[in-house]
Amino acid sequence: MSAVRSPERIDLPDMLDVGGRQARRRRRTVRTVEAAVAMPVLLALLLLGALLFDVITDTLSWQVLAPAGSGRSFAFAEGFAPFGSWDRVMRLELAARGVPAEDIEPLLAAPEERRVLEARNRVEFMPWVDGRPFRWLVTTVSDELVADRPLWSGLASRRELLAAAEPGQVVVLNAWLDPAFVLRNASRSPLVAGLLPAFVGSLLLVGLVILLAVPIGVGTAVYLEEYASDTRLARLIELNLSNLAGVPSVVYGILGLTVFVRLMRLGPVVLAGALTLTLLVVPVVVVAAREAIRSVPPSLRQAAYGLGATRSQVVLRVVLPNAVAGITTGVVLAIARTIGETAPLLVLGAAAFVPRPPDGLLSTFTAIPIQIYSWVSENDVEFTHAASAAIVVLLAVLAVLYGIAYYLRRRFASR
Amino acid sequence: MTDADKIADETVRSSPVPAEEAAVVIEDLSLWYGDFRALYDVSLTVPRNQVTALIGASGCGKSTLLRSINRMNDLVEGVRVSGAVRYDGVELYGPDVDPVEVRRRIGMVFQKPNPFPKSIYENVAFGPKLTGFRGDMDALVERALRGAALWDEVSGKLRESGLGLSGGQQQRLCIARALASDPSVILMDEPTSALDPIATDRIERLITDLKRDYTVLIVTHNMQQAGRVSDRTAFMHLGRLIEEGPTDLIFTNPRQELTERYVSGRFG
Repeated sequence: MSAVRSPERIDLPDMLDVGGRQARRRRRTVRTVEAAVAMPVLLALLLLGALLFDVITDTLSWQVLAPAGSGRSFAFAEGFAPFGSWDRVMRLELAARGVPAEDIEPLLAAPEERRVLEARNRVEFMPWVDGRPFRWLVTTVSDELVADRPLWSGLASRRELLAAAEPGQVVVLNAWLDPAFVLRNASRSPLVAGLLPAFVGSLLLVGLVILLAVPIGVGTAVYLEEYASDTRLARLIELNLSNLAGVPSVVYGILGLTVFVRLMRLGPVVLAGALTLTLLVVPVVVVAAREAIRSVPPSLRQAAYGLGATRSQVVLRVVLPNAVAGITTGVVLAIARTIGETAPLLVLGAAAFVPRPPDGLLSTFTAIPIQIYSWVSENDVEFTHAASAAIVVLLAVLAVLYGIAYYLRRRFASR
Repeated sequence: MTDADKIADETVRSSPVPAEEAAVVIEDLSLWYGDFRALYDVSLTVPRNQVTALIGASGCGKSTLLRSINRMNDLVEGVRVSGAVRYDGVELYGPDVDPVEVRRRIGMVFQKPNPFPKSIYENVAFGPKLTGFRGDMDALVERALRGAALWDEVSGKLRESGLGLSGGQQQRLCIARALASDPSVILMDEPTSALDPIATDRIERLITDLKRDYTVLIVTHNMQQAGRVSDRTAFMHLGRLIEEGPTDLIFTNPRQELTERYVSGRFG
């Protein structure tokens, strides 16, 4: 049937060609593929680094101010006191403004006078003032901004700035991101604008969304994995979950606007925002939690059932403890989405300007991304510095949350 | 005509178990997984404080039979059962019987050791905690571990993970876990198939010790094991119980040709 082949005609592949041409070519192919895979990752890291660098340098700027106050700056040690820097620096400033020494203490003690002082004056810690490093400076809402230069061009020309400054004007390196920035209320003036309302708003949203989305999401996942039989209803829920996870977030905003803001007459308040974002992240939590529950070995469930555990005991004592690490991942993803979402909250009617942090679940609110958006769209160049500082705060909050989640995962996994 | 149709429906029994010695009585038990019939009218009496071995080729229904005694099969979707399983005179498939209660009284050991990823102590205490045991847990854990011949090896490291033990120790931990719920019947589904010969030997000696206090029903693929540990043997084939009787009789002088061919290793 087939022709007889002589043994010497059999062409074996050159398997032992260790140092030969074929082996070299194979290694070259592997290296090329590795490089092709690594390049986009490196590029992405590079771009991310550039972005971070740009944002952080944007939070620093060189400014020439015509101060309405004394225009004097004070050494760090002069003004610093744990939790009391504002008072100490203010005393020095008031003395420099020529307020008689005996009037200063009553001024700071009287609640009404103090409120006016706090509203008009800002005690700022500047990395550089008139050629001297690390000084306290009191700026006021009536200060006039003469010039504002970015970090790098200002660094090169700071001597010219100093020389060009008229008598009474101050040249400072202004660090927009200081603790006071996060703890200050919002303002129409960029000099005294703070992130506190947006910061508190975002934390409230995240907290509420966790409280609402984790029980609902994990509960749904447990129901689908451990209780539901393969019925039409279960399949319908499954199909919808994967679809819902892909719906654009603006659509959720419109849903929230219709249902929570209008139908339930909540108005554009924290609770309405949290409920909308909960709808948005529940599918994310469910998908991650189901994955985690499915990865719990069936032999453990069998063991528990064999010992006479009821279904709920199996879920609570075996399935959930062994799935908690994976569920944590889902919760982190949900938090990341919550804290970064802008579109649905804008649609919902979250306010761009909120003077004070929300004082309850039914008060109007803003969130960090919305604050950034509204600052970036202002004409005033100084607001872009504030926006950059807010971006750094947003990233820092995310980093802290990721850190907590990483720590929790490690703890649960080691148990 | 399928193979199953050629097999005699009547089980051949040698020296039947007297009614007063019965721990579990299975009567005309049939079981379906959806459309597939896994058991055909199986009747078997399991004597108290003895070891009964279930042997037969893969897929003959011996694990299914074992799992229907503590109603583990209820967890499989689409299972249907007819016939009766009586334990201490109680019909386990009766309308008022909670399968959870059944499993608390009839313990089970699985093919692969499956300790929980918890400490050795917590593994043993799992069963008693389910029922809200309020007594001296330390003493209970020690008693169970001694009962499973594991105490001497783990007494110093009760707080360490059960997963850190060797395969044989893990399986004895699973036996201790079953003993802690104080069952009177223990079902073992090929408990040594994942273990090496030395660990297997320890488990087999343990099984022999266990029958003083417990009734043991063991599924095994290993003919020598059935010969070494069991008092009675039941041979199953394609969902039917072909022959059952005292182990030495089944192995030396089986009355069915099918049994003879299986125990002599000519099929299966």
